[in-house]
Amino acid sequence: MPHTHHSNVSPDLVWEIVRNDNAFLVKRKSNGGVQFSRDPLNLQNVNSRKYAGFVNERAVGVNENEKGGVTVTSKKTKHIQRPADSAHTVTYSGNKTGRKTYKAVANMTAKAGYRADLREAAVSRVSAIRRSQRPVKPTPERKPRGKKAKVVDEEA
Amino acid sequence: MSGRPTVTIHGSDGAPTGATHAMPCVFQSPIRPDIVQQVHTGMAKNKRQPYSVSEKAGHQTSAESWGTGRAVARIPRVSGGGTHRAGQAAFGNMCRSGRMFAPTKIWRKFHIKVNQGQKRYATASAVAASAVVPLLMARGHQVSGIAEVPLVVDSAVFDDTYCGKTQEAVALLNAVGAGDELAKVKGSKKLRAGKGKLRGRRHRQRRGPLVIYDPEIDGKDLVRGFKNIPGVETCSVYALNLLQLAPGGHLGRFVIWSSAAFKALDEIYGSTTKPSALKKDFLLPSNVVAQADLTRLINSSEIQSVIRAPKGGATTKRVSVLKKNPLVNKQIMLRLNPYHSAFVKNKLGEQTADEGKPPKPTKEFLTQVHEL
Repeated sequence: MPHTHHSNVSPDLVWEIVRNDNAFLVKRKSNGGVQFSRDPLNLQNVNSRKYAGFVNERAVGVNENEKGGVTVTSKKTKHIQRPADSAHTVTYSGNKTGRKTYKAVANMTAKAGYRADLREAAVSRVSAIRRSQRPVKPTPERKPRGKKAKVVDEEA
Repeated sequence: MSGRPTVTIHGSDGAPTGATHAMPCVFQSPIRPDIVQQVHTGMAKNKRQPYSVSEKAGHQTSAESWGTGRAVARIPRVSGGGTHRAGQAAFGNMCRSGRMFAPTKIWRKFHIKVNQGQKRYATASAVAASAVVPLLMARGHQVSGIAEVPLVVDSAVFDDTYCGKTQEAVALLNAVGAGDELAKVKGSKKLRAGKGKLRGRRHRQRRGPLVIYDPEIDGKDLVRGFKNIPGVETCSVYALNLLQLAPGGHLGRFVIWSSAAFKALDEIYGSTTKPSALKKDFLLPSNVVAQADLTRLINSSEIQSVIRAPKGGATTKRVSVLKKNPLVNKQIMLRLNPYHSAFVKNKLGEQTADEGKPPKPTKEFLTQVHEL
């Protein structure tokens, strides 16, 4: 089994090939030509060397789990040439407290020398996803006072 | 590298057959998007049919200029009378019914000659890139279900004209994990924008997997089986085409090899030292750097053992660069104003002038002022 790239390929080379042109890249002319990435292994959704998960041998992706909570994916360095076995996925349920989830994600990202530089981004993405999963507070009913209250009364 | 890596050969159910094959040397070729793009641009032009407007268009009238003195422009005008056409301007590219500017000619350079060495280089490079998972993903191929890249299917699968039927071909593609890819291609069919719709290019869709086979062993029946699956293309390993291996000049086509075709690669391309058996005067291109992974190079013991220790500590004091605000930073203020500590200690800044009213001017002073 080839465990690694051939010696003619490296993430550095791949990045130079794909940085301006890849299937995940979203380019917009507005806002000064922003460039985003749709890569599920990209923690900040920006097109950059550091966060380009599909290019790097080690990468972490945090995505929303359909049943609440988050799914954290990382790449196995052992099976670079085997896409079907290359993902390591862990799901943290929404019932778990936020802090416990952050701790677990931080450990998964940074323990054993696995991309410590992504820890902060991974935790903040978990936090953002958890926040988006909170129930939406209904807007309180309007309570008109003064003149407007009279108009409402007359209409009623 | 210690020995060439091997590749698993998969059966018709997508499971490994247990057999493996060494990675052919062509997969070690340098990956050169610049060469591939340039060759692709040239080759893509070679299927064009010359076109032009009629030689006579806009010149089928006996117009002549009226010259000066008639208070009209000196453009040639259609002669005669009795019809509206008479007296109208003709010939010029600015005229109604005139000839176009620089009429297109069939002898325009429609076809581009690309040097054979460059074509072979580009093909070898594109084959090498088809084994790099990130490049496949960057091209948009759905490879997350694929067991291994490069994906090799046992040639025994194609025995007895298996895959001669589209149903069998689809079953094989699904078994090896290309189902997502097929679904992506199927859902991508869109009506083309513009006039191409009227010119035989009505729809556009993504490209799916390229099935490369060895016609001598696998037979040609599989071509018909795969033909009608959207996005799937087939190609003989003896006639690899850059336009299929790197569509649009983008490296990293998803390729499914038959094991016979995969084995034939070493014979067809040879290696960097052993000439190809089928291509005259061809050696595979060598890499400029033996190890492309810069991080690995930097961290290698060979490099680490000869470099000196980094100078300075983990943090560096940048005195001359940073401008500090003395109103905020006390140490900087003391450096600039040695009296500052006494000023603060005695609270001189908070004292008000508490000496009562100023004394009234004396008489002498006032008289002196009034005299002036």
